[in-house]
Amino acid sequence: MLLEVRDLHVEFHTRDGVAKAVNGVNYSVDAGETLAVLGESGSGKSVTAQAVMGILDIPPGRISGGEILFQGQDLLTLKEDERRKIRGAKMAMIFQDALSSLNPVLSVGEQLGEMFVVHRGMSKKDSRAKAVELMDRVRIPAAKERVGQYPHQFSGGMRQRIMIAMALALEPELIIADEPTTALDVTVQAQVMDLLAELQRELNMGLILITHDLGVVADVADKIAVMYAGKIVEQAPVHEIYKAPAHPYTRGLLDSIPRLDQKGQALYAIKGLPPNLLAIPPGCSFNPRCPLAQDLCRTDEPPLYDVTESPVPRTSACHFWKECLHG
Amino acid sequence: MVRRLARPAPQPGLHRLRPGHPLPGGHRHLAVPDRLRRPLDCDLSKAQEGSQPGHPFGFNGQGCDVYTRTVYGARASIQVGVFATLGVALLGSVLGGLAGFFGGAWDGFLSRITDIFFAIPVVLGGLVLLSVVTSATVWPVIGFMVLLGWPQIARIARGSVITAKQNDYVQAARALGASNSRMLLRHITPNAVAPVIVVATIALGTYIALEATLSYLGVGLKPPTVSWGIDISSASQYIRNAPHMLLWPAGALAITVLAFIMLGDAVRDALDPKLR
Amino acid sequence: MRGPGLRPGHRARLKQEFGLDKPVWQQYLTYMGNVFTGDFGTAFNGQPVTELMANAFPVTIRLTVVAILFEIVIGISLGVVTGLKRGRPVDTTVLLLTLVVLSVPTFVTGLLIQLLLGVKWGWIKPAVSPEATFDELIVPGLVLASVSLAYVTRLTRTSIAENKRADYVRTAVAKGLPRRRVISRHLLRNSLIPVVTFIGADVGALMGGAIATERIFNIHGVGYQLYQGIVRQSTQTVVGFVTVLVLVFLLANLIVDLLYAVLDPRIRYA
Repeated sequence: MLLEVRDLHVEFHTRDGVAKAVNGVNYSVDAGETLAVLGESGSGKSVTAQAVMGILDIPPGRISGGEILFQGQDLLTLKEDERRKIRGAKMAMIFQDALSSLNPVLSVGEQLGEMFVVHRGMSKKDSRAKAVELMDRVRIPAAKERVGQYPHQFSGGMRQRIMIAMALALEPELIIADEPTTALDVTVQAQVMDLLAELQRELNMGLILITHDLGVVADVADKIAVMYAGKIVEQAPVHEIYKAPAHPYTRGLLDSIPRLDQKGQALYAIKGLPPNLLAIPPGCSFNPRCPLAQDLCRTDEPPLYDVTESPVPRTSACHFWKECLHG
Repeated sequence: MVRRLARPAPQPGLHRLRPGHPLPGGHRHLAVPDRLRRPLDCDLSKAQEGSQPGHPFGFNGQGCDVYTRTVYGARASIQVGVFATLGVALLGSVLGGLAGFFGGAWDGFLSRITDIFFAIPVVLGGLVLLSVVTSATVWPVIGFMVLLGWPQIARIARGSVITAKQNDYVQAARALGASNSRMLLRHITPNAVAPVIVVATIALGTYIALEATLSYLGVGLKPPTVSWGIDISSASQYIRNAPHMLLWPAGALAITVLAFIMLGDAVRDALDPKLR
Repeated sequence: MRGPGLRPGHRARLKQEFGLDKPVWQQYLTYMGNVFTGDFGTAFNGQPVTELMANAFPVTIRLTVVAILFEIVIGISLGVVTGLKRGRPVDTTVLLLTLVVLSVPTFVTGLLIQLLLGVKWGWIKPAVSPEATFDELIVPGLVLASVSLAYVTRLTRTSIAENKRADYVRTAVAKGLPRRRVISRHLLRNSLIPVVTFIGADVGALMGGAIATERIFNIHGVGYQLYQGIVRQSTQTVVGFVTVLVLVFLLANLIVDLLYAVLDPRIRYA
């Protein structure tokens, strides 16, 4: 297994108390595999990824438990300098907003070439040639001429391609893409996503795709982990989940996608708001918003049940997963 | 001559008070120690003497009690600070506010004027303009500060009026047919006034410091007015032998300016948490 | 007004000699014409104003250079340290110190430092010699810089603390760059843009604002000459020096604008 996150806990110490952002997350990605992590904002999907990358703000953040195994090695036991050498070289991250994530005062050539200068000890001149090569690879036209330009001189799609090029620079084993297409025009979204998927296949990388967009997921992901209030509530291969979700939250997400055949009807929305991380409700954290909630859900926290009726391994953190699966 | 004769004969204790700052009558019944009443009542034989019973801060070069003069110095400083701030705030917010509200040519003209005033170094301007003044009152100094200070407030007032003007409820009031004066007074002013108050409070401390600097350079307040700047200036000649003459008014000045700057910080935090 | 020994014809001749019989606007034009050819007239003691300038400006420029160096070295370092360690004891202490420095007028700071270092402890000479060499100007330079120094510290601190949370800094960390490189190449480059522009504009302000400092340490620079000119009502000196100072001020602002474009490519290509 390329990456295995085991029982990860992350909390943030704020003025108002301790916010429990990640509460025992387990997931894994293999080489060449794509895991989509789905959830609303505040569900802990980005925080988990930042913990894996080692770029959490500590303090206020704190990893209070768990293991992050990368190629069999627990990253949390490594020294900062050893972790730094893995970052960027063996695992890389693509962020949502390329404009703010690129340094405004350095040319894209400098920012791309920096990867080779720092991790490979390359000269500035050689690194520039490498930068042009990378820009060609992500199909930025006239790369040679544009390598000296600054981020604000590129369009949104082109900027995100530069982010992808930067992540791919040292051909890492794992890529974490945090909402890579959310900030882009719809027409550009597919192009960027296709490029990412293509490069992933080519280099046989593991990909963790963090998103709240179910449309993107269906095309590229192998398996899905749905997160709610810092926990994974359902994990399954992608086609299984679309066929029949085994958790009411997943069902709610799928039902809130507008469909053409529903034209004229009211669009479904999950009622209520995501829980306050300072005070997560007891029992199942989804119970105040859940249409299937019983007394049991308000007192007992559901474990991850194996969905035994499924031909492939899948799990659900719902006491009533059977009802949900058939309902 | 006739008029002078018609005046009541000056009382012995009072005429010494006249030149600088007559104490308001209401204060006289207070149990003010005798030395507090006469800031200019000096005894040359005690010049430069240090601390002694009844005179905790010692005496200055003219043999005046430093404690008394330090206490009296607060009056000129506060007067200059408060009146300069009021003048600057009034002039600046009226001119800036109107420019922001009406825009157009008046706005452009005012912006160029503020540019010009911003280019004048304050101390240099004070030296040039105030060196021709002979009046010993605080008013020329206050006038100078208002003259050079209002563009700062005008810019801020203009900015916040323009921001307030774009609020939907102001546009709604306009759509409902509110008159210009009603919009300006009822809708815009209450929302644009906070930044002006914040900046003005912080400026109060800097005006006190500026008064002392100008007085030190000999163009601010002039004797017989009692001011920290004047006292620091005259004490600097005796710095080798009697540094206490310098330390007390300097300390009082520093603490006062610090207090007003901190007050400004507190007002800012109270009125506009975003500025933190 | 007329002196006892002044004969009537004498007065008229003097008036004619100095061009005082012509209308004021014509006198002004003559003066301005002379200024453009480098003739600023003569000071109260008969010395040409240009000669005073030739002596005074190098001194004040040296003083300003010392002050700016203090702002850059101490101000920026303190700002970076406090910005990175926001909320820690170092930060609170420095912040409080800057507040104190900001509240004490420069001339009081100057007098106190002169008293302590010059008179009490004898580390420095209380007055600077007419040559005003760099080592003599270290303490006066620090005094002149003090208020701006505190301001630079605060400005740098705010800017660093703001940019520290920026997305591109997170990207730089995610790229596996060493902490030093993240700070120096990514964080500082962006955070220092407002600071550099402030310091640039401060050059003009320091040169014009050195009057009190120069008076305290008896430095015979621009501020001293201006002060003398004002006290002795020597219009030629005052107008001449102020003219040059305003030119310096404008030049400094122009350089700041150009510097801004060099530092921030978003402005260069806008």
